[in-house]
Amino acid sequence: MLVDYELIRRARAGDGPAFNQLVTAYRKRILGTIARTIGRPEDVEDVGQEVFLRLYYSLDQLRSAEVFEPWLYRLTANAAYDYLRKRRRRMESRMADLSEQQVLLADAVAGEKIDRDEGQKKRIREAVDALLDRVSEEDRVLLTLKEVEGLSLKELGQIYHVKENALKVRLFRARQRVLKAFTGARNKAVGVSSLR
Amino acid sequence: MDHQNHQMESDDARLDALFEAYHDACPDLEPGADFMPRLWQRIEARQGMSAVFGRLARNLATAALALSTLLGLAVSISGSRVALPSESYVEVLAEEHNSANLDFEPVRLTTAVEQR
Repeated sequence: MLVDYELIRRARAGDGPAFNQLVTAYRKRILGTIARTIGRPEDVEDVGQEVFLRLYYSLDQLRSAEVFEPWLYRLTANAAYDYLRKRRRRMESRMADLSEQQVLLADAVAGEKIDRDEGQKKRIREAVDALLDRVSEEDRVLLTLKEVEGLSLKELGQIYHVKENALKVRLFRARQRVLKAFTGARNKAVGVSSLR
Repeated sequence: MDHQNHQMESDDARLDALFEAYHDACPDLEPGADFMPRLWQRIEARQGMSAVFGRLARNLATAALALSTLLGLAVSISGSRVALPSESYVEVLAEEHNSANLDFEPVRLTTAVEQR
């Protein structure tokens, strides 16, 4: 916990300065999670604002201060999911295929063959973003929280209010889909480059 | 078979490495200086909007109550003036049915011998 329970109780009781402190303590971490979940740095602050806005209006529904963090992550997952769904609707006509260059870069990164400068980091973001576009928005958020954020199954269970076994099955399927896209695109790209 | 398993494991490990690289490529972000003021603006804007909707809902409820009272009064006044039929629809139908049945009484035919 980044704050003490008393601060959460005060914020829940409508104390403005306590709410400010709460947001200040968590915003950097939440913005990071959002950045890695949605893959669009330019929209991260907007989604982050939505998370804390929802937090402000739902704090009174929080059962106890002890479950604050899973609650905040749940709001974050929901806001990221809503954003991704809207974005997919906007971009439905555009194919989210991995370009050959993206695949080769992703493969090289996975093999740790390159140093990472800012340009390469941007391309890694784009490549993973395109890979994660192969699964549904729900699975994308879930997969990011598990694989990229490193949350445990127990923590995910608290966030989603779902049994760990059900999560395991869902995560396995989502990961298999991403893995299939990753290896498929890589084989294709290697085949194309070897023809030259 | 072994080769296939080995390939799958290797792909799994590569994907893990890629996710790790992705984490490093998207570090935690420092919010802009106007993050808190913008957040409070949005909170206040929503509060203002819900206040407007609340007022609108209260006004609509009052108007609906007044209208239903007026309609109730109008119905009770007109109801006392117009004499409504005392019979129910089923009773009227039954009566119609009885009178209609009279038309279908069997016709008794008598022969010339009986007449004599």
